[in-house]
Amino acid sequence: MQAGLTALLHDAAVLHRFSDFLEEYCKEQERSQRYVDASGDFFKYTEDLAREIKLELRRDIERTSLFPPRIAASRTASLRRKMLTLKDYLRLLHTLIKPAADAHTLSIPAPLINLACDQLRQIEGMGDSRIVVLLTPQLMYFQRPHTHVKQQAALVEKFVPQVLFPKKLGFIELPYSQGPSFFTNLAIYHEIGHFVYEELPSLPSSNASFTALGLARDHALMEFPRLRRDRQVRALAEKILESWTQEIFCDLFALRLVGPAFSFALVEILGMLGSLSSEAMVTFDQEHPAPACRFAEQVRLLRQDSWWDAIAHIEPEQKKLLERLAKTPRAKYKVYAGDERGPEALMRPFLDSIIPAIRNLVRQVTPDAKSVAKRFRETRRVIEDCLEVGVVPHAKTATPLDPVSIINSAFCFYLTKLPKIVTKFEGGAAERNVGTRSKWTGKLEDWTKKAIEDSQIRRQFERTRRDGPL
Amino acid sequence: MVLSKREILDRMQTLAVSDRRSLVITPLLYKEESDVFDADSVDLKLGCYFLLPKMLDQPFFSPDRESATSLHVKVHVPLGQFLVVPAHQTILGATLEFIKLPSDVSGQVLTKSSVARTFIIVETAPWIHPQYRGCLTLEIANVSNTPVLLYPGRSICQLVLMHVVQEKNTRGSKRGGRNRKGDVKPDTSYFGPVYPEAPKFRDPQDDLLKIGVRKVASLKKKQLVRENEEWKEES
Repeated sequence: MQAGLTALLHDAAVLHRFSDFLEEYCKEQERSQRYVDASGDFFKYTEDLAREIKLELRRDIERTSLFPPRIAASRTASLRRKMLTLKDYLRLLHTLIKPAADAHTLSIPAPLINLACDQLRQIEGMGDSRIVVLLTPQLMYFQRPHTHVKQQAALVEKFVPQVLFPKKLGFIELPYSQGPSFFTNLAIYHEIGHFVYEELPSLPSSNASFTALGLARDHALMEFPRLRRDRQVRALAEKILESWTQEIFCDLFALRLVGPAFSFALVEILGMLGSLSSEAMVTFDQEHPAPACRFAEQVRLLRQDSWWDAIAHIEPEQKKLLERLAKTPRAKYKVYAGDERGPEALMRPFLDSIIPAIRNLVRQVTPDAKSVAKRFRETRRVIEDCLEVGVVPHAKTATPLDPVSIINSAFCFYLTKLPKIVTKFEGGAAERNVGTRSKWTGKLEDWTKKAIEDSQIRRQFERTRRDGPL
Repeated sequence: MVLSKREILDRMQTLAVSDRRSLVITPLLYKEESDVFDADSVDLKLGCYFLLPKMLDQPFFSPDRESATSLHVKVHVPLGQFLVVPAHQTILGATLEFIKLPSDVSGQVLTKSSVARTFIIVETAPWIHPQYRGCLTLEIANVSNTPVLLYPGRSICQLVLMHVVQEKNTRGSKRGGRNRKGDVKPDTSYFGPVYPEAPKFRDPQDDLLKIGVRKVASLKKKQLVRENEEWKEES
């Protein structure tokens, strides 16, 4: 056998073994744990792809060894390029498979994930979207940009056309420590916003508003003559504005889907990360607008959508903080890039012309939230009454409780009435016991998850009762 | 006195959840009342979470504070999927329904006759005290010689409810006590679970000390360490 072919055979065998490992690993996960549908689809895709890659490699090597030496040399070179593409892609999948395998239904709030995915699919143009949850060692929530995965997958599809990357598949990372908790995981709605933002160019509902947002950003950049001259600085400015835009878009997107509970969850997370100092609150960095600016936008939207009136009855510290931050004068905002003062000039056009365009875009993309706030007002009392006596929230009528109302009522209850229920069942002294409070927070989260799950089961049951089994 | 279907429905539908006489069974899914109610009982469905016995790293299980949760491994089986219970094995499951009993009602869980005829026995500790709330943990034993499939969402047991005649001047349950209205306060050690719960134990020496036993045998061995040419228990 020729030397080139021997080396190729060796490398192909290594790739074959790598594919084999990934295929077996995915199969093993599905045998031993349960996953939300999207993860199952992702594992199945990886298994199919790995299997096809192995077949393809065997066929390629067989064919190449039959060619005469001169042709075989060029054939070997093109096969090497192909193998490199496959290897790169498998390496990318490798980084996703393990955190996806960790995120089985016992380690994530599956009812919340299922609900969020249902809501996502109701958005026009997002009907076949699915979200794979990944558990990450980072103490932060993150959406893995799926466009990159899709692009890589498209390259591989040229060689393995039998296996197609699932349409509109997103990847969202949750900190593994927060996996089973409920309230902080409402942050996934923000990450789903990033997924939708990447899909915006293809959404029919957002065409005009998305173009308007792009124009607003271009206008903002035109205001600075220096940017026209210096391409590097312009690229940096574009990147910063794009990041700020996405963050505000995702916050408002999350609010429209899940209401004020998202803002409360964000306060919890920022508190956990130690980002609630007065200095940090007014500081824009290269990726995020200042929390004060983000909360100001959130409060504004909550007022417009009647949510603010709907939660007028509660006054927890978190709500007061939101109010206080929303009132922070813009003059106090600062921009930091690393340790140094950053491009503050970008802030004014961002606040004046880009944010209004984002608000408009969010309104176009997301469903009306006023009716959701109205349902919350109507059912809040019922839900709180149940929680107060340690019972999973439920309705006595045939209409199941709205999951968004359950989430918001439970969060308001958690912020204002947790001590009451601790005292009621554990006695007065327990109220000051941190361990006991933590235990009851867990119970409250369990009842909320169960209520959402039950509401979905009830909805499905009522549909079947009405329309008959499909 | 066993509660009739009518009284069960009345307590579920007409009383506010905060009323101490109210009964909650949720989600109770039925087209016709006869789908889940008998004249004197309610059928309950199997939930989606289970605790399966796990291989221990020691040849015995000691029911003490430390090892109480080491006996099981948690499993989720979504609706539409099934769980195989091997022959002669017992697992823990839970009802799909969350229950809140009134302060004047006790309950008993019984295997549904159709299920019992497949040699599946539900519950060996079937009594539910007044004021209990939570999904009921079910001990499910397959006493047959063949593995049996369990489908979450299918009826598995029936709940029979009984009126408790309240006595005046009693001091409440062993853990719960009474509130100002005289109701027994619920025991918070198994309060409001939505998954099957592992048992909670105190250490045996603490339980036995209460009845005056001051010397308690223990099977727990310390690690042996080789020091100065002889084996010693690790300190």
